[in-house]
Amino acid sequence: MATPAEVVQANGVQTFRPAGVPTHDTRGFVRRFVFSTDHKVIGIQYIVTGLLMAIVGAALASLIRLQLGFPDQQWPLLSKLLPAGYQGGVMLPEFYLAVVTMHGTIMVFFFISYVLVSGFGNYLVPLQVGANDMAFPFLNMLSYWIAFLSAAVLIFSFFVTGGAAAAGWTAYPPLSALAAAVPGSQMGQTLWLLSMALFIASFTMSGLNIVATVLSVRAPGLSMMRLPLTVWSYFVSSILGLLAFPPLTAAAVMLLLDRHFGTSFFLPSGLIVGNKLVPSTGGSPLLWQHLFWFLGHPEVYVLQLPALGIACDILPAFTRKPVFGYRTSVYCLMAVGCLSMIVWGHHMFVSGMSPFSGEYFSLATMTITVPMTIFGVNMLASLWGAKLDLKAPMLFVCGVIALFGSGGLGGLFLGNATADMQLHDTYFVVGHFHMMIGGVTLLATFAAIYFWFPKMFGRTMNETLAKAHFWLTFGPFFTIFFMQHFLGLQGAPRRYYAFTAYDYLRNTRGQNLVISLCAFVLVSSQFLFLINFVWSLVQGRSAASNPWRATTLEWTLPSPPPHDNFGEAPIVARWAYEYGVPTPEGDFATQTVPAASVPVTA
Amino acid sequence: MNTTALAMDTPTVREDQLKLGLWMFLATVTMLFAAFTSAYVVRRSGSDWRHVALPSILWINSAVLGTSSGAVEFAYARGARGRWRTSAVAMSIAFALGVVFLAGQMVAWRQMVAAGVYLPTTPHSAFFFMMTGAHAVHIVAALVVLAWGTVVTVRAAGQRRGWAARMSLCRTFWHYLGVVWVFLFALVSLY
Repeated sequence: MATPAEVVQANGVQTFRPAGVPTHDTRGFVRRFVFSTDHKVIGIQYIVTGLLMAIVGAALASLIRLQLGFPDQQWPLLSKLLPAGYQGGVMLPEFYLAVVTMHGTIMVFFFISYVLVSGFGNYLVPLQVGANDMAFPFLNMLSYWIAFLSAAVLIFSFFVTGGAAAAGWTAYPPLSALAAAVPGSQMGQTLWLLSMALFIASFTMSGLNIVATVLSVRAPGLSMMRLPLTVWSYFVSSILGLLAFPPLTAAAVMLLLDRHFGTSFFLPSGLIVGNKLVPSTGGSPLLWQHLFWFLGHPEVYVLQLPALGIACDILPAFTRKPVFGYRTSVYCLMAVGCLSMIVWGHHMFVSGMSPFSGEYFSLATMTITVPMTIFGVNMLASLWGAKLDLKAPMLFVCGVIALFGSGGLGGLFLGNATADMQLHDTYFVVGHFHMMIGGVTLLATFAAIYFWFPKMFGRTMNETLAKAHFWLTFGPFFTIFFMQHFLGLQGAPRRYYAFTAYDYLRNTRGQNLVISLCAFVLVSSQFLFLINFVWSLVQGRSAASNPWRATTLEWTLPSPPPHDNFGEAPIVARWAYEYGVPTPEGDFATQTVPAASVPVTA
Repeated sequence: MNTTALAMDTPTVREDQLKLGLWMFLATVTMLFAAFTSAYVVRRSGSDWRHVALPSILWINSAVLGTSSGAVEFAYARGARGRWRTSAVAMSIAFALGVVFLAGQMVAWRQMVAAGVYLPTTPHSAFFFMMTGAHAVHIVAALVVLAWGTVVTVRAAGQRRGWAARMSLCRTFWHYLGVVWVFLFALVSLY
């Protein structure tokens, strides 16, 4: 319970620190940096944890590409390093399945979710709404440590008997339900489920906090329609997370009961595994698919909306003009949020669903492309007529727009039941979702890191390295996943360990080789980022409080911001996109510049 | 209710936040049970579906939970009139009845096991144990909140600021779980 010293009511909405309270957290090291309740520290904790997980995810991707690019090659060194996964220098098929599963799980849930959603969500939302912390700081700390535990459980699962889970990041039963199915279906799958349950608990707490913060502690004058699109996107994606994630918790409980307590929620009758009849009866594997995709599809937007919101907020700092169609973009975010809850069946067109259901899910999916396209066009129109300042964050945002457009186009084919029958489970799908849930979010994550690094650490990242990092990331990334669309059109199925046994895919060997080489360039170029990140932390040039001449509230604070952020609540006078107006500071006005000094445009 | 007495209890920002947080939490819990329910409906169409007999103590448990909810409301009404002693006693009774409900659920589970009905016996029994178990876990959490509400009410005579807002959290959470129980009981009994 807050004491009067901590909470002061002003204009009915704001909490802030009264005068006399120190600006730095004066508690000991552990409370300041380990079990901190400061949203900025927690945000950075999430970001660092997510980046570490990304290293694991990228290493796994390299193993996948090594196998697919050089299927006949032997790798004696890998046999020594990973004796459980390689025999005689050759990767075991079941190890390949585990690697694919863990790559997907880590990248979706433990990299993008942690860095982009929880990390930047925690760091930015309170600052951009003019609050001194999240609505529930203790819950916030709890959510991070549960997230940490979840990641630890997942990493631990590599080392148990049978190895890590191998049923794909979607964990479809019966593969995920029967310990005898593949080696990864043993303890590894149980730990995978436990890790997901912890992840969902943590993510729900975090989402609840973000929604409560946006609704209850906005600075005076900061109406909802003056919020930056970043905050709007976190707001919508957090609500989505709150509503869409619990069903997977329910599904995880049922799958655990199927695995360990003899129930048959998802296990059908007549299954034979290892020449033995499984005693289950009447369960429905499709039930899992429905419950999983009820989470899985909104999850795509939970990750993607913050990427788009962040892109919209970085754009104007480098175009020096307001984003195009702010209000329309807000309405599009809301529309996408609602529609994303009713389109999950488009992942299941080939599951034998009724053609009428397929028709409905196709129509709903086509409908969701409307607000998404409007949002994309708004981003493009924001570039129109501007003199682009192509610094690293802006380059990455341009990459976001490019991938969003190209990847989105593939979505039109996959959302159509008729076309999906042909393309389902091919590399077309792999190419599509990597561009959307992988590329849009990855590039937005880098854009965000380059853009807010000066605010977070008070230092600037090296621009030359950053630009090199962009080109060496965007180029290979686009090539890899653009080409995978065409692999899919040629009929290459996903999840296969090797294509050497199929005559019709013999001609794709060269394509797979090029894709693998690009993947190695992509992974290697991330070292440029890591070096830049670590070097800049220690030796980077000192950053000014507003190096990008941006308008949102965090730029009114010193870099890095003090422990309690604003101290006194900032008075907001305008929207977040007051660019291209003559002011004493140049061509922009931060949200706190009074209306008397610079006319308010929105 | 004496609204004049409560007028001085305008919720603070913090209390509004807690209320908002609670409603969002309840939304997630609703989605959890909605998922269980939809799974129940889907699984029920399986050829191996067989209803098992449910113990009659569940009726008593339902009455106990209903009475507990009533006691919370009574405590709130008494407290609003400044009858702190009666209010605290009513809250204590509500808490105790909550514990009795949990104990009653355990008796129900044991009775089913004694009758040879286990978790995997039939899909119906699997759903029954799983959903009532999930509900019981939430009841445990709500009992912690109810215990807090009881302490707040005991102290309210000297420190009544914020009492109504705190009580509203207890009431919302507890009644919500009561409604969920009625729904679950109806589902597993009737469908």
